[in-house]
Amino acid sequence: MSGGRIKMFPDHRHPDPHAHAIHKPGRRLMHHVPLHFVHKRVAGGGGRNVNANLNLVAFIDFLIVTVIFLLMSFSASGEITVDKNINLPKADNVDDVIEAPMVSVNGNQVLVDGSAAGSTRAIEDLGRMQKVDELFDILKRKRELWKSFHPQKPFPGVCILQVDENVSSLVVKSVFQTAAYAGYPNVSFMVKKRGKTSN
Amino acid sequence: MGGVDVGSSGGKRQMNMEINMIPFIDLLMVTIMFLLITAVWANFSRMNANAQIPGPPDPTKEIDPQTPEKVLNVHVTDSEFKLVWKQGATVVSETTAERPKQAGTELRYDDLAKKIADEWKQQSSHQDKSDKKQDQAILHVDNRLPFKEVIAVLDAIYDCKREMMVDNQAKAFPAFNMSFSVR
Repeated sequence: MSGGRIKMFPDHRHPDPHAHAIHKPGRRLMHHVPLHFVHKRVAGGGGRNVNANLNLVAFIDFLIVTVIFLLMSFSASGEITVDKNINLPKADNVDDVIEAPMVSVNGNQVLVDGSAAGSTRAIEDLGRMQKVDELFDILKRKRELWKSFHPQKPFPGVCILQVDENVSSLVVKSVFQTAAYAGYPNVSFMVKKRGKTSN
Repeated sequence: MGGVDVGSSGGKRQMNMEINMIPFIDLLMVTIMFLLITAVWANFSRMNANAQIPGPPDPTKEIDPQTPEKVLNVHVTDSEFKLVWKQGATVVSETTAERPKQAGTELRYDDLAKKIADEWKQQSSHQDKSDKKQDQAILHVDNRLPFKEVIAVLDAIYDCKREMMVDNQAKAFPAFNMSFSVR
């Protein structure tokens, strides 16, 4: 080393500065300073490792527990569709829902399996119980269809009413009576099952 | 990654195996997504009612006059519930229960349920376990009464349970079967 400089680090520079146009990637800033503490500081060595090891066992355990919970609560019978305009009342003493024609009654209309079968307003405006003709025809057709498919079996006569909690009893009784006339004497009301803690 | 260590061996081939966990995690993730999408969270149930419709008369059978059964008539008025046991047109007993004013959407008539259970114990003729017939309750409500009130009364009626023998086992069933009065 010439000029009395202390040679702390070996000089890797090529004598000819134009000999290597392409250099190995890495830190460049202040690397030429021949002081040990500067080199140590700019090199960034000795710090915490930036790569962290993730324990996969706990993660897989969590995934398996989630899968088991979802599998246990899985219902293969499919979703029971409830009209979005209907707010069902809650009850404690209930049975499981069975496969039967669904009659939805909201504040405006009566629907059977999604298709219109009468007007709630018309019943309320009349002010007395009446047979809902459209509903009667649809339910009767469904009953005849069921009988043609199952000629040997007795007709169960069950239909389920999804009635909004604020609909008046007049409408409920009219729909109930119409269903009974159409051959469905066993009418069930769909409700939400009340939780054990709620009052 | 996961691995299987079967101990060291003197042979040349490496006995420890590395299992790639990524496809396994992918499978679990896909299963969770499928189950979450197809999950049914709403818990819907039903409450039975029955329309008492007499069938067409059978001309081949002789009409056998029978003593009418006792029926519980539940009248809902503005201030109270009236419980009337009737046998045909004859009033057998009559009692009342207070109808509490309840705010909010969740209605519950616990006192009515207790009163109905007491009445059933005193008046019902279908209390034996082997008797599979249910007592009949007829609900008399005003035409303007909201449906949630009807369901609250129905819930109180069905709160009264009795044991019935099914397949040589005693099971709890509602003591009453409910129908509407359409007058």
